[in-house]
Amino acid sequence: MELLDYTKAHALLTKYAIRSVESKYVTSAKDAVAFSRGKPIVMKVISQKALHKSKNKLVALNLISPKEIESNYNELKKRAQQFRPYKILAQQMVKNGLEIIIGGKIDQQFGKMILIGLGGIYVETFKDFALRVCPITRHDAESMLQQLKSRSIIAPNAQAASNIMDLILKVSKMYEENNIQELDLNPVILHDNTYDAVDLRIIK
Amino acid sequence: MMLMKKENKIKYANLEGIMHPKSVAIIGASNNPDKVGHVIMQNYIDSGYPGKIYPININDPTIMGYKAYKSVLDVKGQIDLAVIAVPAQIVNSVLEECGKVHVKGAVVVSGGFAEVGETKLQDELVRIAKKYSIPVIGPNCLGVMDPRSRVDTLFLPTFKIDRPKIGGVSFAAQSGAVGSSILDLINNEGFGLARFFSYGNAAVVDETDILNYLANDKATKVIVLYIEGVKRGKDFIETAKRTTKLKPIVVIKGGVTDAGAQAAHSHTASLAGSHEAYDAVFRQFGFSTATDIKDLLNFAKIFDTQPLATSNRIAILTNGGGAGVLATDALYQNNLVEAQLSKESEKTLRKAMPPIVNVRLPLDMAGDADDRRFGAALEAIEKDPNIDAIMAIVLFQTPGADSRVAATMIHYATQMTKPLVVVSIGGSYTRAHKEMMESAGVPVYDSPTDAAKSLAALINYSKYKKGIL
Repeated sequence: MELLDYTKAHALLTKYAIRSVESKYVTSAKDAVAFSRGKPIVMKVISQKALHKSKNKLVALNLISPKEIESNYNELKKRAQQFRPYKILAQQMVKNGLEIIIGGKIDQQFGKMILIGLGGIYVETFKDFALRVCPITRHDAESMLQQLKSRSIIAPNAQAASNIMDLILKVSKMYEENNIQELDLNPVILHDNTYDAVDLRIIK
Repeated sequence: MMLMKKENKIKYANLEGIMHPKSVAIIGASNNPDKVGHVIMQNYIDSGYPGKIYPININDPTIMGYKAYKSVLDVKGQIDLAVIAVPAQIVNSVLEECGKVHVKGAVVVSGGFAEVGETKLQDELVRIAKKYSIPVIGPNCLGVMDPRSRVDTLFLPTFKIDRPKIGGVSFAAQSGAVGSSILDLINNEGFGLARFFSYGNAAVVDETDILNYLANDKATKVIVLYIEGVKRGKDFIETAKRTTKLKPIVVIKGGVTDAGAQAAHSHTASLAGSHEAYDAVFRQFGFSTATDIKDLLNFAKIFDTQPLATSNRIAILTNGGGAGVLATDALYQNNLVEAQLSKESEKTLRKAMPPIVNVRLPLDMAGDADDRRFGAALEAIEKDPNIDAIMAIVLFQTPGADSRVAATMIHYATQMTKPLVVVSIGGSYTRAHKEMMESAGVPVYDSPTDAAKSLAALINYSKYKKGIL
């Protein structure tokens, strides 16, 4: 079990035309300011030892001014000491939107399976998800959406539903064609008729 | 479609020799009524099995009037099926002998193998079965029952468990105890049995083999499965995919707890345990999942007798207003909708019903509704393109409802191209009519909820079949 490096994960997603936010590892506050170019960014500590980033306050959101970026960089670095080795990742801030999860896991009996559900902090609370065995068809993707209690907010119209079905199929294809044990895209943020995968956990 | 590719590579056991044997050797047959081998022997005699019976017993030359043999090696004729009911320690040597005389199949009812930790003994059994290519059911099982070929390896005396009518429902269960109790219930339902399998440890023949057999079996209209787990996940899926294109599978899964759960590395893994995986497979490949034994029987009943549905718009007819209200609630709780009458049927019904009847759905035909009123309603509804299925509530306590209403239900339920279910709630008079209707092929339910759940199962399967074909 090994967590795929964020930049490699990003590259893999890009290969399958799955959108994930622009990101860069930064090694100094100055580096982070340069990455921001005046636009809001997020910084997070990436470590094999830190599974729950938000719980451990290893995420800083919506940073714009160089001053903000610098002080938060230093603060994150301090908190990260107990999770060494670590890296700090800077990402473009994605607009607010509904958070969903798309994931994959290998079932002992049936092999690779794909999951979609209400994501972010609601994953464990509502446990509103649908699961299918790979390979999945468009019909399967549609029935997964139908199964969700939150379908009307995740896919409020036909276009949104179609976008999400496309995304499920792409993730499923990527999962099947690569040597991946487990996979969490959580959250994937839905906004402006599109989406961005914000946190990528790909376990080889 | 791409689904078809793998199918040919899957290996299936040939179960013909077990289900339609021309001869059977009962190894461990005994004159002692306390022995399992005695009960099995008795059942073969009682069922009127038309083939040759060879009792095998080392000590007695005659068992229950039949000439007995010390070993299958001493039998001159061909033995198709060997039923093995001897202590676990000698099962393997007996099976080896069966291999030498080329039996076409074996049922090992004896326990004392992997289920009690004797894995070596079971591995040896598997090795012998492979060496001689014998399809073996068990060990640690009740075996098989087929009311057509009159094969019956169940070591349950006929006074303890009712024997079934011949019908179209096949039932396979891993567990012998659950299997026999459900079988007993099936035998008291209106529908009949096609095949029964209790396959125990599934050391050689497993659920995938049985599913394959039942998929190809012409006598089987509906497959009912009780499983705790499957052995060949991928093969099971491929086989199920092909099966649900042909006929419905009603499944109940035992063991909801997650034995294989490990520390989760991701949210996905923590959400999707083994139980969720089974649930996903059942949904994805068109199974009808029952959550209790009552649902299992209720679903089997509707699939056995009723045609598939075009969609989920249900017409409720009733001779009691309150029951109609409950039924409407039950529809919406099960993702079904109340149908709207077409203008055409509104006109027809207005003429046919007395002025006190409000012509709209649910159609409350009042307490004095008789067979003519029920008949007129069903006649109109059958033709109505806005209606996909019918739930008819017949309360036999009312002045109008008698055997003629039951006969009307039988007439329509067996001839209509739309599914029809009946709800009758009540005591002995109701029960008598329920039996009348059920034995003629009308699914009758004790509550609107049971009826709605069963209709939903039928409609979901209908949709699945339409979507995939």
